[in-house]
Amino acid sequence: MWLALSLREPALGVGGMVVCWLMSRRKIKRLEMGDGWWGSGERPLRENEDERIRPFKIETSDKEIEDLHHRLDQARYAPPLEGAAFHYGFNSDYLQKVVAYWRNQFDWNKQVEILNKYPHFHTTIEGIDIHFIHVKPPYVPHGRAVQPILMVHGWPGSFYEFYKIIPLLTEPAKYGLGDGDVVFEVICPSIPGYGFSEAPHQKGFDSRATARIFHKLMKRLGFKEYYVQGGDWGSRITTNMLVQVMLGAYVPWLVGFTREDVRRMYPFMQKNVYDLLRESGYLHIQATKPDTAGCGVNDSPVGLAAYILEKFSTWTNKSFLHKDDGGLESKYSLDELLTNVMIYWVTSSIVPSMRYYKENFSQDPHLTNDSRIGVYVPSGIAAFPEEIAHTPRSWAKMIFKNIVSYSYMPRGGHFAAFEEPKLLAQDIIHFVRRVEQL
Amino acid sequence: MLLEVFVILGTIIVYFLRSRKKEETLSFKDGWWGRGQKPDTEEDATIWPFKVETTEKDLSDLYRRLDEARFSEPLEDSCFHYGTNSVYLRKVVSYWKNQFNWKKQVEILNKYPQFKTKIQGIDIHFVHVKPPCLPEGRSAKPLLMVHGWPGSFYEFYKIIPLLTDPASHGLSDEHIFEVICPSIPGYGFSEAPHKQGFNSVSAASVFYELMLRLGFSEFYAQGGDWGWLICTNLAQIAPNHLKGLHLNLASVTNMGFTHLLSILLGRYLPGLFGFQEEDVRRMFPFLKKGLYRILLESGYAHIQATKPDTVGCGLNDSPVGLAAYILEKFSTWTDLEFRNLEDGGLERKFNLDDLLTNIMIYWVSGCIVSSMRFYKENLQKGIGTQKHEKLPVQVPTGIASFPNEIMHTPQAWAQKKYTNIVSFHLMPKGGHFAALEEPELLAEDILQFVGRVEKEQLWRKKGE
Repeated sequence: MWLALSLREPALGVGGMVVCWLMSRRKIKRLEMGDGWWGSGERPLRENEDERIRPFKIETSDKEIEDLHHRLDQARYAPPLEGAAFHYGFNSDYLQKVVAYWRNQFDWNKQVEILNKYPHFHTTIEGIDIHFIHVKPPYVPHGRAVQPILMVHGWPGSFYEFYKIIPLLTEPAKYGLGDGDVVFEVICPSIPGYGFSEAPHQKGFDSRATARIFHKLMKRLGFKEYYVQGGDWGSRITTNMLVQVMLGAYVPWLVGFTREDVRRMYPFMQKNVYDLLRESGYLHIQATKPDTAGCGVNDSPVGLAAYILEKFSTWTNKSFLHKDDGGLESKYSLDELLTNVMIYWVTSSIVPSMRYYKENFSQDPHLTNDSRIGVYVPSGIAAFPEEIAHTPRSWAKMIFKNIVSYSYMPRGGHFAAFEEPKLLAQDIIHFVRRVEQL
Repeated sequence: MLLEVFVILGTIIVYFLRSRKKEETLSFKDGWWGRGQKPDTEEDATIWPFKVETTEKDLSDLYRRLDEARFSEPLEDSCFHYGTNSVYLRKVVSYWKNQFNWKKQVEILNKYPQFKTKIQGIDIHFVHVKPPCLPEGRSAKPLLMVHGWPGSFYEFYKIIPLLTDPASHGLSDEHIFEVICPSIPGYGFSEAPHKQGFNSVSAASVFYELMLRLGFSEFYAQGGDWGWLICTNLAQIAPNHLKGLHLNLASVTNMGFTHLLSILLGRYLPGLFGFQEEDVRRMFPFLKKGLYRILLESGYAHIQATKPDTVGCGLNDSPVGLAAYILEKFSTWTDLEFRNLEDGGLERKFNLDDLLTNIMIYWVSGCIVSSMRFYKENLQKGIGTQKHEKLPVQVPTGIASFPNEIMHTPQAWAQKKYTNIVSFHLMPKGGHFAALEEPELLAEDILQFVGRVEKEQLWRKKGE
């Protein structure tokens, strides 16, 4: 059973673990915050870290683009098996089409401009440079409070996943999401080792360290209180859950499952065990040999695209496995998908991003211990139907002791902010409204 | 933890109860693996000679990629614990570019006669080495040797002379072999199957056809890694043609209740379960040496068994990535302690020329993706679920159990599957790539095994 549980969490997202930590900070039993040093070599003796927040702009060069084009031109492909669609992984016939677009139509200069439309910053925390974007509402009616919200991406995503949802949160009235009673200023950092945040140089950088760093970031930005939003959340399986699973298909009401829960979770073995096993190979290799797994994809942009885009296909909708093109362009544009891939490529961050899995799994028993403490902060959960595995409210309650809202979303998969920004924004606003009224 | 153990126990009991009914034979698996439809015409059975070739274009493309390689700095003090250490990898790449002589290595590869022939729609590559000099009146015994992943036919280049010409190498020449080393379809110079479903039974059937086509109605088979499974399947398909089966890996995937019990109690009551002292030393504590070790080292198998095309894509495009991926196995599977070394201990047991030649075989043939698909074809339904895993092997079997294999299989377990074990030796040293690392030890074991089989004409006594 423990195999199923530890597969489930990270199959669902890395950002969630960070969120969990951040939220559990403020609960009744305090978690040890600790401290850390992630820069190269020894921590300098002088106490004071440079706390300045420095504006940052993403840049590119002709050289960088030429090198990319050259690699795309010389890419070597292995033909797929007949009739394989996406069952063996990313179909290389379709990959060639993506690469042709990438080489001939994708305009990285233009995408960089788009990325730079929100203000970016860097600041040094615990020895490494933390990158983040900070978007304030363009207009706030007099006397209205602006809620700071920290949004944490996951793997293989980035801060860029939030670009479509940010305007819905900073200017909700403009997008028909209420009369502006709830307005946010959004902070999206990059997890250290991802994108434009410096990668840790020391071993042991896990979600706890990340949470601590992000908490320091928010403090440095002057926020004493803030909301946190993350990819998703982990849950721990207990004996109670086993009983629930066995009975749930027959007498769901008895064990606290709704009809929708049953619809999403059963047949249990298929949806929870087999599907997870089939989809968690990446997790297994990244949690054990990240430097090996990442080496080739840091050197081959085509390999990197295949590796990352496979997740954007399968984690958006499992049925996309049957399609020759993995259904990618039915939910996303190639420009969006490739911009995310480019963030990993130009920063050479795929290897450190994979190491995060190993750092979090090596500490697994530790994590379990602290998770049992529970999260008492008011929590809102948006359950998207196409997530790899469904977690019913009654299971989420084991960790999140104070669930203020739990919503069954009508559509959407793992990359909710990217794929269904309006649905997610609506749920966030609905949740915050409830909390603010409490 | 205890709960998990009981759940596993429970699951296995259910499995065990369900799998009571046993069929005895494994059938030959016919297939068509070529492109498109199978043609009506009969297959061309010619065997034509083959030579490995290289071009300036290949080399300059390779060197360019090596020059442009992008590395990620390793974490401080991580050695090989996070995978292949990129600081050491840079050294290997520098050697590869500046000292490794691929043209020379190609000549070395071509020193043994190689051939191709079409079977079930795809071109099968193999090396066929006859003894350089056979004493009067003697005949050479055909020996099929099958490689695994991430190896190749090249792994046998050091052991071949010990078997085709034992006298010149200080070994008894009571038995002399002619050696046939094919490349598994999808590996090296064998064509990759174009259709789904090519698993170990398919490979065994193809190699069986190969041996028949070469005119051998009786032969020996030897293998480790996938070679272990393919040769085992061969023994199950064609027991009357296989005089003996020699393995340097003997995994048992059909675990039963007794296995579980022996894991829980074997350390305390070894005699009860047929464990020797060395078995206990290699297997226990079980969590550490069995379960955790497997979990730590099987990420590659998990991703290859589920998304081979994804993971292989970058490796087929980046020679440095390919080298990192393959070298990690040559390090860890030779000695797990090598993970604690900054250079992964690679050059303690192998030389860079041999390691890079093997990698080049994957690179020039572009076969890494198809080689990984073999994992999916064999493992996608899970371990212990396939018919052949439940069938015994009755062909006389010799097992050489090397100490540094990832997981140790004691004779007590092996004999439940291999019901006719003629010799089982706990080897003094060596790891997974036995033929390359300890060719003399392996050759000696093969020779003594064949000696026993031949002396007592054991293949005649199989009887079904």
